[in-house]
Amino acid sequence: MNTRRGWIPYALLAPGTIWLAIFFAIPMGYMLMVSLQEGNLSTGFDLTWNFAIYPEVIAQYWELFVRSIGYALMTTLITFLIGYPMAYTIAFRGGRFKNVLLLVVVLPFFVSFVIRTLNWRMVLSDNGMVFGTLKDLGILDPAFHFLATPASVIFGLTYNFLPFMILPLYVALEKIDRRLIEAATDLYASRLQAFLRITFILSLPGVVAGSLLTFIPAVGDFINAEIIGAGNPDSIMIGNIIQFKFINANDYPAAAALAFVLVIGVMALVAVYTRLVGSERLTES
Amino acid sequence: MSDVPRHQLTPIELAIERAMRQDRINRRAFLGRAGRGGIALGAMLSLPALIAACTPSGEGGVTIEWANWPAYIDIDEESDPNPTPYPTINAFIEQTGINVNYQETIQDNADFMQTLLPDLTNGNATGWDLITPGGWVVQRLGDLGFLEEIDHSQLPNWSANAADYAVGQWFDPDNTYSMWWQGGITGIGYDPNLTGREITTFDDLLDEEFAGRVGGFSDMRDMFGLTLLSLGITPENATIDDVTAAQQKLLEANERGQFRGYYDNSYYDALAAGDLVACVAWSGDVTQMALFDNADVQFVIPQDGGMRWNDNMAIPKGSTEKLAQTMQLMDYWYSLDAATTLSEYIGYFTGVAGVQERIEDDAAAARESGDEETATQLEVTAASVVPTADQIDNTYVDKQLDEEEEAEWNALFLEVLGG
Amino acid sequence: MTAGTRLSGIALPVFTALVVVFLFLPIAVMILFSFNDPAGRQNITWQGFTLSNYVTVWSRPDITGPLALSLIIAAISTVVATTLGTMMGIALTRYRFRGEGASNLLIFIPMTAPEIILGASLLTMWVSFGVERGFGTILISHIMFNISFVVVTIRARLSGLNRSLEEAGQDLYADGSTTFRKVTLPLIFPGILAAGLLAFALSIDDYVITLFSAGRTLTFPLWVVGVSRLGIPPEVNVLGTLILLIAFLFIAVQTWSGRRAGRREAGPVTMVGR
Repeated sequence: MNTRRGWIPYALLAPGTIWLAIFFAIPMGYMLMVSLQEGNLSTGFDLTWNFAIYPEVIAQYWELFVRSIGYALMTTLITFLIGYPMAYTIAFRGGRFKNVLLLVVVLPFFVSFVIRTLNWRMVLSDNGMVFGTLKDLGILDPAFHFLATPASVIFGLTYNFLPFMILPLYVALEKIDRRLIEAATDLYASRLQAFLRITFILSLPGVVAGSLLTFIPAVGDFINAEIIGAGNPDSIMIGNIIQFKFINANDYPAAAALAFVLVIGVMALVAVYTRLVGSERLTES
Repeated sequence: MSDVPRHQLTPIELAIERAMRQDRINRRAFLGRAGRGGIALGAMLSLPALIAACTPSGEGGVTIEWANWPAYIDIDEESDPNPTPYPTINAFIEQTGINVNYQETIQDNADFMQTLLPDLTNGNATGWDLITPGGWVVQRLGDLGFLEEIDHSQLPNWSANAADYAVGQWFDPDNTYSMWWQGGITGIGYDPNLTGREITTFDDLLDEEFAGRVGGFSDMRDMFGLTLLSLGITPENATIDDVTAAQQKLLEANERGQFRGYYDNSYYDALAAGDLVACVAWSGDVTQMALFDNADVQFVIPQDGGMRWNDNMAIPKGSTEKLAQTMQLMDYWYSLDAATTLSEYIGYFTGVAGVQERIEDDAAAARESGDEETATQLEVTAASVVPTADQIDNTYVDKQLDEEEEAEWNALFLEVLGG
Repeated sequence: MTAGTRLSGIALPVFTALVVVFLFLPIAVMILFSFNDPAGRQNITWQGFTLSNYVTVWSRPDITGPLALSLIIAAISTVVATTLGTMMGIALTRYRFRGEGASNLLIFIPMTAPEIILGASLLTMWVSFGVERGFGTILISHIMFNISFVVVTIRARLSGLNRSLEEAGQDLYADGSTTFRKVTLPLIFPGILAAGLLAFALSIDDYVITLFSAGRTLTFPLWVVGVSRLGIPPEVNVLGTLILLIAFLFIAVQTWSGRRAGRREAGPVTMVGR
């Protein structure tokens, strides 16, 4: 640990921190006040310190919080299972194509989400190229449908958050000294053991980063439930409620309160998670 | 941006622009006449010009800042966009010397309103001189005192040509704040091959046989409107008890998974692909679908009634110094020439009487000149730009909700959506 | 070589190829439909091959203008956010100091907060300070939401990274900034690249936050969301295809010049972190 020049970390942190303080913390502080207001558009909103709104919205929507967290956990798990082998291959087998493959992972996301999802809907429609074929082959029941189901929402989340898993995994894997792996292969009986005890452990900072970058934004997502999930009433997420309350119902206090419940809940989960995997220890060098 | 050099028109482009103005030819017909490509590359824009195209301009004289929905105006894809890519707007600019900065920035009624409200509640100008939102937005903004009043004495075209159904709407009975832009009908779209029978009522949509294969709308007013009508209640007069009954009806349908989802405009591809056998739908969309994407799909106004909607031109508060010019622009769309060109291109319900006849004339002229394709297309368009008497009789409008009611209705609807 | 090695020798590349197919499936459809010739407003059923969309797109400033603007905003916000985020990431992994916990909080919460709340709260701030919305406010908001993603990615790179090289560098150059330029920066470069790519993707695709900071300025996602009500014209697919094409050309050139540079460097490199 470098403690010789104490001002350096503060100098490095200052620009970004100031940016976030002005353009994030201050507006969010204002939103915190909004959550404690009562009123409507014509009479205006007054700050009444209405803390009761918090237990109210939790009681009303806790199931959707649980569902959203469940969807996000599933998404994180699936993106990890897909993303780890992919990141591993790029890092250790990519050779001079490493950066190419990295870009390939992100490229589909340079195209508007409206286009991506519209085209997914065409591919995944009941008789489209995937399920239509499976139905023709008699593998699937003709009545089967995928879009507008909870599974399709998780699918959409998985697709859209995959780069957020793969890229951090890659940057963590790519730095691993191969000589360590070679030494371990000599040391342990099986390659699997060598992988688990060395490669995987050393890539943990990437696993932590990737799962956070996937899980955190996925919990509050609303767009996948809206356009892949087609607003199916059994698969909407808490993000859809917040969206509706704010945009359609002009119910700013409830929307803000829901948002802060979400923020606090997710932060608590993140704290538990980082403690469990011991990222505090991992981040020390 | 002020100092972007104007592209000099080539003789070919000038000829095309003249042709566009004189003939009021529609895009497809034009494509057939001029052949594709060739000219357009010459009109390729420089980067500064591209940026200028999406930032407000500030040339000498008055510029009207207009927010509209995308793809809601005639556009000339073939020649140089000068000063705008929209022939009808160019004609207005030429006639009056008033500049128009036409921006396609409305994505969604509610989203758009939320972006305006903070400024309006603070008494600031929104930066827009003219906006084109749906009826309920006009009502909400009007009620809150956020819209400028229109001076009818400055609207000669509107006074002369406005169609009966386009004036005195529920959300603005005296047209104090707004004038009809374009409109349509919400009913049901369905594929008889997939349903195996005719769909005539909203209750047909709720038939258990179709559970999981029909779609609803995520729009509260449309969805409650159709449900109320199916209960024999006129939406305009619905009480909170009526709406609660409508909500119960929809919640029961949810219980058995009747609606696959509550769609936004994404219902279009689901219905065209046959994922949905029937869905709440907009008339204009189904016309498109039947013509181009799925010939089997039909539009029907439920026997118990469909919903009428329209978008409107309105002036947000704070645009006082350009009021006269903005009203001149609003009135311009009620001139037969402009309205006809617009309708031939976009094909929604026009608010201008006489447009249908003009389109029919154009169709006849096209037929005479041997252009069958254009003639057929114009005939289809002519038939769909004006609601028929039946359509008007059997369609209803939204209720003028006060804010408290709206909050209650929204709360009920959020439960239907799964909240 | 064991059987397991051979299996993973084949299985991993095959798996990776399948993931790439998965990622590009909707994109392939998008490219295909950029050559479609739809007669109506919607571009969802195949109606015939044409190249004309690639010509007409250039006289659609209503589409190209917002796209150009989105590209510029994405590029600038990526550079700024990656710079600020990398600095923060270095501070948080390389140093121990008072206030670390608070900094962590400030980094994670923006990713947690729903976009609508971020966007609307920013709009309230712009209005109350009388800030004219447009290019500048969009840029500020994009940098804001990008920073967190950059910091987390950079930390994944830095934490656990062998520091002996940097220490050797410090002995060699004795000057902090030279050590940073010659040793630390190359070591963390893959992290910076990955973070930059994520930031670019987030920025170019953002709808909700941009909506509230845009004023009368129109970005590509705003336009596309709006036009989807009536049907997305094939020219939008054309532009998506062209973006991919340019990116591919760019990486092709990079790889080609990288290969030539690689030949000049002799021998296999088994350096830590490269």
